[in-house]
Amino acid sequence: MMTVAVQMLLMPLVAFLVGLVLVLFMRRLRARIERRVGPPLLQPVYDIVKLYGKRSQISHGPMHEISIMMVVGGVIAVVLFLPVPGMQGLAAHGDLITLVYLLMVPSLGLALGVGQCANPNGSIGISRALTAMVGYDIPLMLVVAGVAIAYGTTSLPQILAMQGGTWGVFQMPLLALAMLIATYGMLAKEPFEIYTAPAEIATGPMVEMGGKFMGALFVMQCFQIYTAGALFTVLFLGGGASWPGFLLKVFAVAAIPLTLTNLFPRYRAERVLHWMWKWPTGIALLGLALIMLR
Amino acid sequence: MTAEQVPTPVDEVLSQLPGLEISRVSGSRVKLRVPGQRLPGLLALLKGQAGYLHLSAISCVDWPQTDEFELVYHVWSYETKVMVSAHVRIPREPGRYVSVYDLFIPAGYFERDIHEMFGVEFEGAPDLRPFVLTEWHGPPPMLKSFSSIDYVEEQYDWRDYRPDWLADVEQRGGGIEET
Amino acid sequence: MAGKTIPIESDPNTEVACRDVGGEERSLLRRVVDQFADHCRARSLFVLHYCTGCGAIELPPSITARFDLERMGIQPMATPRQADILLITGYLAVKTLKRVILTYEQMPGPKYVVGFGSCTINGGMYWHSYATIKQLGNYIPVELYIAGCMPRPEAIQQMFLELMARIDRGEARAWEDYYRRYDAYLAQQQSLFGTRWEGPTDVVAEARRYGLLEHQTLGPHTAHLERYAPYHRELGVPLADKRGSGSLV
Repeated sequence: MMTVAVQMLLMPLVAFLVGLVLVLFMRRLRARIERRVGPPLLQPVYDIVKLYGKRSQISHGPMHEISIMMVVGGVIAVVLFLPVPGMQGLAAHGDLITLVYLLMVPSLGLALGVGQCANPNGSIGISRALTAMVGYDIPLMLVVAGVAIAYGTTSLPQILAMQGGTWGVFQMPLLALAMLIATYGMLAKEPFEIYTAPAEIATGPMVEMGGKFMGALFVMQCFQIYTAGALFTVLFLGGGASWPGFLLKVFAVAAIPLTLTNLFPRYRAERVLHWMWKWPTGIALLGLALIMLR
Repeated sequence: MTAEQVPTPVDEVLSQLPGLEISRVSGSRVKLRVPGQRLPGLLALLKGQAGYLHLSAISCVDWPQTDEFELVYHVWSYETKVMVSAHVRIPREPGRYVSVYDLFIPAGYFERDIHEMFGVEFEGAPDLRPFVLTEWHGPPPMLKSFSSIDYVEEQYDWRDYRPDWLADVEQRGGGIEET
Repeated sequence: MAGKTIPIESDPNTEVACRDVGGEERSLLRRVVDQFADHCRARSLFVLHYCTGCGAIELPPSITARFDLERMGIQPMATPRQADILLITGYLAVKTLKRVILTYEQMPGPKYVVGFGSCTINGGMYWHSYATIKQLGNYIPVELYIAGCMPRPEAIQQMFLELMARIDRGEARAWEDYYRRYDAYLAQQQSLFGTRWEGPTDVVAEARRYGLLEHQTLGPHTAHLERYAPYHRELGVPLADKRGSGSLV
């Protein structure tokens, strides 16, 4: 068995590699839906290397640089708490609540950095991002509460162990559905893509980020899609005893938002909030009620 | 062309102002020629009494032969669907006219455009700063005395372009004709 | 002393480079890293989605399904900070040129400008207009031109392939020319915008940082920029004998 220290190095690396493949998968899927060929196999690598290889890195001050470290640090910290086949990392020491708390750190880091940029598009974008976060966090917290009550524990390895017989998605389908929608909102894909919005606010928080800052955001995107798929897999699909099964589940879960995103235009900012507080929250409350009545 | 052939209700308005020349009438257009100082009054009457609420455009024509500018005010009536074009000639030397911004707010932009393209000053216009030609330092470019080609030849230089196929064509007696 | 000496014309205490640091002078590690970086840069190009003139109508057909540009790694990006390529599609009015220069100077290097359409080459269809510029290469350094009015998507793909081949070979360095000959570019820009025109970025400081500050960077037209940077005086480059226009100190 590997020591925790070695696992703490390996888990983000594996997550990054799987995330790269997921980003390629996302772009190829979009291309196939649009009846064209997508980018080549190593495209995410080319993008990230090119962005880090820019000859001038336009920085807006030390806070801007620290904020990017916070963003990437936050997503890496989340990954350390997600148990994967063969490695548990810190999952035995922290629980689901810690993980959800850490999920908010990247957005806060981005907010700090964008505040330094002094571009009104960025400020509008980040205020929309935090608004969206208030939107999807409500159903997410309800699902976390429901899961904790149903399994009687918030420790992720124990939740995995308790799904040995039947998967969580069959025990509590409504909560799984609400979690899927909340994850979709967390990924900020259309129709919930209000903070990027390239045609309206010139990519929002990323408006002044070029070079290494943009490269870090691309890295964050890799980790984010992986986290979205892996969290749902661990909570509701029984994790995976081995890597092929685990990866299949992660890709299947990630494919749902990544397919639906190509079919929708963008909601308005307040519509996202209304919708998130109506449908996934309603479904999560219903699922929570069913759990508590059991 | 007498006043009876002009469609009402603009008929009553036009009969109140002597000295108009109504030069052409078709189904939906009336062309008037107005002496300079009567134009704002005509527009006010058209707007107030005959319901010509929409100023479509103000155009300007440069007449170097008679040293005049001709301003044309096109107003449109939604009810009768008739457009009245009122032409007024002003001498080029002062090149000033009164602004009709108080009657029609869109006139502000038309007058701003005519000011930067022709150099006509409108008294009472709210803002006459250039907005299309913000980096322009020459004479008003729509004047007939301004030659765009001469300006371009003086200000810019051309890329040397001598391709092989052109040399072949010139060898056989053809070439590019410079007009 | 026997042996080959490289003639250096500048005083060793200044930062003015009078010789071009070519490929053969870099170390092996530097060359490998540069080649890898160029390989990745060629295959991931972000185009600024700023459609300057009527030629921009040919960009959506190139990006969408029929002539897919994403399979070459090219995607449109929203802001100059994120983009590598600035496509000048079509004619440039003098008013737009000012904004294009502001945009160009905000982009981080290496950056590639492509003149798209005949209007950027020699005036094109609007050659006799008083309000458009005739040669784009006078005002910002241009990497490639495509002729056409406007070029078809096949021609655009050909241009991108040519640009990618150039980046791969390490020859796509027209952006450095802006720093090497800033005075000439500024002179042309000032002939349109007035003698007090200056860009939003400190181009001389950037040139100094890249090591591209040469004799032709500073000149009579950049003289009024020295109020921003006292270090211009520290350079002490004697320009009087070269140009007869007085020194910059």
